[in-house]
Amino acid sequence: MADVKVKKESDPVDVAAIETRIKELCQQFPHGITDQVIQNDMPHLEAQQRAMVINKLLSLGQLDLLKNSSGLLYRMKDAQSASKMKGSDNQEKLVYQIIEDAGNKGIWTRDIRFKCNLPLTEVNKILKNLESKKLIKAVKSVAASKKKVYMLYNVQPDRSVTGGAWYSDQDFESEFVEVLNQQCFKFLQSKAEVARDSKQSPMIQRNSSLATSHEVWKYICELGISKVDLSMEDIETILSTLIYDGKVEMTIIAAKEGTVGSVDGQMKLYRGVNPVIQPTGLVKTPCGLCPVFDECHEGGEISPSRCIYMTEWLNF
Amino acid sequence: MHRGRSSAHWKQRAEMTAQEARLCGLLLREHFGEVVERVGTHLLRSGAQNLRTVANESGTPLDLVKKSLCVLMKHGACSFRVGRKGPGSPVEYRASCERILRILRYPRYIYTAKTLYGDTGELVVEELLQRGHMTMSSIVKTVADRLTHNMEEGRRVEYSEVVSTFSKLVETHFLQRCPPVSEAAPAASTAPMIPGSGPSGSGPAASAPPTAESFPDCYTVPHVSLVGWGKRRRSGEDAAEEQGVGKKAKTDEQTHGDEGVYWQVNFERFHLHFRDQTIITAVASKLDQTSSEIVRTMLRMSEVTTPPSASCTQALSANEIFRSLPANYSISRPILDQYLTLLVDDPMEFVGKSGDSGGGMYVVNLHRALTNLARATLESVVQERFGSRSARIFRLLLRKHHLEQKQVEDFAMIPAKEAKDMLYTLLSENLVLLQEIPKTPDHAPSRTFYLYTVNQLATARMLLQHCYKTVANLIDRRLFETKESKRLLEKSQRIEAIMASLQASGAEPEQLTEVEEMITAPEKQQLESLRHHINKLDSAENQVDETIFLLKAYVNSTAKVTQ
Repeated sequence: MADVKVKKESDPVDVAAIETRIKELCQQFPHGITDQVIQNDMPHLEAQQRAMVINKLLSLGQLDLLKNSSGLLYRMKDAQSASKMKGSDNQEKLVYQIIEDAGNKGIWTRDIRFKCNLPLTEVNKILKNLESKKLIKAVKSVAASKKKVYMLYNVQPDRSVTGGAWYSDQDFESEFVEVLNQQCFKFLQSKAEVARDSKQSPMIQRNSSLATSHEVWKYICELGISKVDLSMEDIETILSTLIYDGKVEMTIIAAKEGTVGSVDGQMKLYRGVNPVIQPTGLVKTPCGLCPVFDECHEGGEISPSRCIYMTEWLNF
Repeated sequence: MHRGRSSAHWKQRAEMTAQEARLCGLLLREHFGEVVERVGTHLLRSGAQNLRTVANESGTPLDLVKKSLCVLMKHGACSFRVGRKGPGSPVEYRASCERILRILRYPRYIYTAKTLYGDTGELVVEELLQRGHMTMSSIVKTVADRLTHNMEEGRRVEYSEVVSTFSKLVETHFLQRCPPVSEAAPAASTAPMIPGSGPSGSGPAASAPPTAESFPDCYTVPHVSLVGWGKRRRSGEDAAEEQGVGKKAKTDEQTHGDEGVYWQVNFERFHLHFRDQTIITAVASKLDQTSSEIVRTMLRMSEVTTPPSASCTQALSANEIFRSLPANYSISRPILDQYLTLLVDDPMEFVGKSGDSGGGMYVVNLHRALTNLARATLESVVQERFGSRSARIFRLLLRKHHLEQKQVEDFAMIPAKEAKDMLYTLLSENLVLLQEIPKTPDHAPSRTFYLYTVNQLATARMLLQHCYKTVANLIDRRLFETKESKRLLEKSQRIEAIMASLQASGAEPEQLTEVEEMITAPEKQQLESLRHHINKLDSAENQVDETIFLLKAYVNSTAKVTQ
């Protein structure tokens, strides 16, 4: 009887001391502590009491409950985030947790639902709540324009979601890309012209017409035509489109690590080039450009004798 | 099995397409008239046939068929051999589409001869192309007469000048002797007269007509006694006779010792020259003049040592190249090495390095150059027809071979909707192909990769057919325009004839002006515009022929490489 009485009379001070002790332990082991650790530290503490204290700390939001392969872990929660969640209930905390874990890629509502097993209406309500508290934000994904992903308010969305430098508000900035395209080409072209006019030996001419991707990047940055910061990789994608336009050639050379502009011991060099042929004979005739070429035959509705494109071309 | 350059007639050829047949018909009609056109197109479409069948099926009387076949054979467009059923069966005739299509290129052959050998060369080649086969003596006389006629009074051209130009043309293999034809085994009753038969071999008929080059005398100029000079035609002769001179064979009583030795134009040699010119021009345009001179020198040096079907020239050492550069291009040896290195490094791969001896061994990559030029041609067509962004997509696919739709959008930096539109347009024109790669055996669309790709060879073949159709369209339009203004043309010709005769007989200026005014001003304008139209259509035909030549050279070169 006396034992039982002693238990029942465990006063609040004790509980507070236990709480503090557990918190200290958490701070000692920032990765988290298990039940075992608490038991070792306070062997006199009974399992029931321990569980009670831990539950209290959890509900107060001062401890994080994690699960790992060997069992349960208790971890100290950030003081800051602890204050944020004041006034939110458990479900909200759960959703918040899930969104936080998604990092800067964000997470879709459906995925949130799977992870927390809450009904859709609940989840939506919680999300609206959190948004109004400015704890999370919705970002439209550029890959699927109807999809909305949620991420923490102060987190920068990842490039794969926003599309990077070429997208502003989900719209591909074609004009911006075109302008950059032309500027890069002009830079390379004028460099090639200067090299040609210098009348040096051919090897020197060729080498002085080459520009590294770093040089082009610096030139574009100094031009100041871009509102967003462009990385060297961005410029390289623009230069690749110039290659596909047949206006520019690229060579890769080995470069010492640490040379300005080298990536993984390599540097990409670009050079403006001349076209190898003039527009071919076929396209100098109206038939070469005719949209109804396949339907044209002598004696038909569309025929060479009555062709209006030919008439225009002949009278030019 | 001897895989030499056997005559194109009897090789296992791919079928002739409808466009080619249409173009051949138009060319035959313009050059030889409707009867030859009818017989020729019939033979083209039906393959090898004997004389009676041709006559019956084409609805042409027998003697006209014989004459048409003569004309075609004289120009190398038709050949014959023993019938399929063995000796004793009637001789079969077969027309050559490729040879007929070459008629389109006559202006280019003549112009090339002019640039290389002057006016004399131009006229020699022109006469030979007009007549098909000629003996050297008749060529020399005709050309000398024509040259003399165009000169001022008192000047004339010696036969020896023409003979020397002729010999030069033969030395450089632009002209060759016609192959002597072996006797056809069956009786002569169904075989028409064969012009150009030299000392006939008495062996059995060969399974394939031998090429000109299989005869050792192919490029030997006969010794002829040709002394004299061109005769000027007296002015005042009938205009009709002037026109008929080229067509009617002048009956010449003199013999010069080269009877039976007939000459023809060696088209393949011209084609090699065109190919070299195209490569040199491309090098000049991509790099610079000096590089193109170096490549020209390399090609010149390997003219005789490289077989026509080779994919690259013989290896030449840098020392040899240095010695053979033209005198006015004095660059130092180290500079030459630099140019050669730059040529080798260029992505177009015009020149390759095959070794290090002699200062570096270099070859001209003929096949690769043709492939790259053909690719540039395809890109040019896509660019002009569909715009530079579609051209970007096209070039991207040529480089990366297979891409998904999303990848195309990303690499080309074109917004998704527009990229999709462009890809589908290119797909509908068969310039781009779609390849399905299923992930699961049930080929479900949601689990299949769809990759876009470009097949350069197939696309080149398709564009070649487009070119043939385009040329046929241009010719049709030209004939139509001429027909529309036929009445006006005839009137203008009549008036010109009247003017000429009046001038010759010393008429008063007022009479001349009176005749001139018979053509009204709007009619003059119409005539002027007609002339302008015809010229434009003519030059367009030649321009398209350049594309045809390049694409055909590429297709043939690829076929030889993959043989």
